[in-house]
Amino acid sequence: MLGRRGTLPLLVGPPLVWLALLFVAPLILIVAFSLRPESGVVNAADPWNPSLVQYGKVLGTPAFLRLLGVSALMALGIAVAATMLAYPLAYFLAFRARTRATLFLALLLVPFAASYLLRIMAWKLVLGPAGAVNSLLSSAGLISEPLDLLLYSRGAVVITLVYVWIPFAALPILASLQRIERSQLEAAADLGAGPWTRFRRVTLPLSLPGTLAAFFMVFIPTIGEYVTPTLIGGTGGIMYGNLIQDFFGRAGNWPLGAALAMVMLILTVVGVLIALRAVDLRRVAP
Amino acid sequence: MPAHNRIRTLFALSAATVLLLAACKGAEPQNLLVLEWSGYEAEDFWTDFKTANADAPVTFEFGISDADILAKMEAGSQADLFHFYSGWQQFYVDGGLVQEIDTSKLTNWDKVPDSFKEQGQVNGKQYFLPWDWGFSSILYNTDEVPEVTSWDALLNADYADHISMWNDGPAAVTVSSYIHGWDETTITADQLAQIEQEWIAQKPLNAFYWSGEYEDLCPAVQDGTVWVAYAWQGCYAAALYEGVPVAYADPAEGRNSWIGFYGISSKSDSYELALKFLDAKLADLTMSNVVNLFYYGAANQDVMNAIEDEVLIEAFGINDPSILENTNFTPPVTADQRSAWTEMWARVQAE
Repeated sequence: MLGRRGTLPLLVGPPLVWLALLFVAPLILIVAFSLRPESGVVNAADPWNPSLVQYGKVLGTPAFLRLLGVSALMALGIAVAATMLAYPLAYFLAFRARTRATLFLALLLVPFAASYLLRIMAWKLVLGPAGAVNSLLSSAGLISEPLDLLLYSRGAVVITLVYVWIPFAALPILASLQRIERSQLEAAADLGAGPWTRFRRVTLPLSLPGTLAAFFMVFIPTIGEYVTPTLIGGTGGIMYGNLIQDFFGRAGNWPLGAALAMVMLILTVVGVLIALRAVDLRRVAP
Repeated sequence: MPAHNRIRTLFALSAATVLLLAACKGAEPQNLLVLEWSGYEAEDFWTDFKTANADAPVTFEFGISDADILAKMEAGSQADLFHFYSGWQQFYVDGGLVQEIDTSKLTNWDKVPDSFKEQGQVNGKQYFLPWDWGFSSILYNTDEVPEVTSWDALLNADYADHISMWNDGPAAVTVSSYIHGWDETTITADQLAQIEQEWIAQKPLNAFYWSGEYEDLCPAVQDGTVWVAYAWQGCYAAALYEGVPVAYADPAEGRNSWIGFYGISSKSDSYELALKFLDAKLADLTMSNVVNLFYYGAANQDVMNAIEDEVLIEAFGINDPSILENTNFTPPVTADQRSAWTEMWARVQAE
């Protein structure tokens, strides 16, 4: 049997190599491209003369920074909403579902069996002029004409992404709730704490690490989201990720796309670090 | 068999093997890689080659825009052939990415009109094979919109929330150039700033910017979400077939027209097979499929002359002898202009 020293490289080695090849190396390439001064199509073999020209363009264009701010706010709202909606779901699975927990968990994961694009397109049908929501409102006599705002709007992007993320967000919360010792809740009850107090003083603090993990799991990828805004966001629902995707794809301007991506990455990492420092988990959860 | 005969036979076999190996080494690979647009890999669009060369495998890799295809070629794509659209010819020649086409080996070359052939020439050499073509104009719903006579319909607030512009910076500059009567190849910084402001003002009028003609735009035209759109004639034909009340404008400023080209990569070591592929791309059945299944124009004039379908006749303006006189062909522009235009469009999107 291998000792501790022997197992460590075996456990950590493969994922480290994987990350180095598929995350660190591409990241270095992105940084290298972002420092190229050329605009438009660039041959990677061309001489590399590093410059901050592209960063100057990004930081000197208020519209780009505004859109980054809007995207961050949208991501924040989506992450908060998805986490808040996922929490009761996870709570039910952890404490109420009992023997049917596995069945409900499987049901929670059913949407993942369908393609992401298919689910987004389904929302297009739900929110469209002749979609389910408009039909319902119309048949109830609440509207005389279909509401255009439901589709091709920022609201449509938020609604759809909250839906998409809820099952993902529920999983880390569920894991943290399942780790809570029932004896701690019983002790709180013995000391006279009612259900609400037990939840507020015991369950919530102990599940906070999973809840925060769920929040960041939604927040971070949502800032750079571009597929959902492309399909159902319309011109008002465009997000910062759409600009990055456009520069790498349609415009073929990789240096500027790379600089846009790096600015987003740096600001997101800084924001997350500040948030984690502000919420000191060691104080709220043992 | 006597020993000396065995030795002679062995020698002969060895020599034959060496000759065979040498021949194989000098022979072209019998497979092709084509850098294409998604959708064109369907066998309908290279059916004549497939039939004639069943044992020559063809594989595809994809680009999502002309810039993306050029970037892939610049980055060292192994593609033998690549497909792109008007305005990008010079970049491939300047970059040494393409080799001249020996048209004497193309049996269908005579079916291509001279005007199309000329579009595929750079510095007097035939580097590119014209293949598909079409118009860009305003597609509009005749139940909701009176006759459209100018490109400025795309900026008309009366159709707010029911307009759809193509998500493309150079196209936006082209439309503005038509409206203002400017030469798009000589747009100044001030003119570009004005164009940017106009498209920022236009942005809220759109239901959405479309990216995929058949994926985004056509369904929205057919379900009534979009009344006025920058569109190619394919979407017009598709809407007519569905019985949607639509028309395709002949703006006073003229329609735009574009041509799709194939080029043979300068790195390709399958030149002869690539020529066969290009020749088969111009063959009647393949080109008929382009017209009848995709509603795009074909460079094979025999196929265009044989069109009898009323919808396609209407879509291609075949009955209008003056249609090409009032059409603006997409001109080549510089790399710096393209970059400036796409960056302008990114700022419009971000606003």
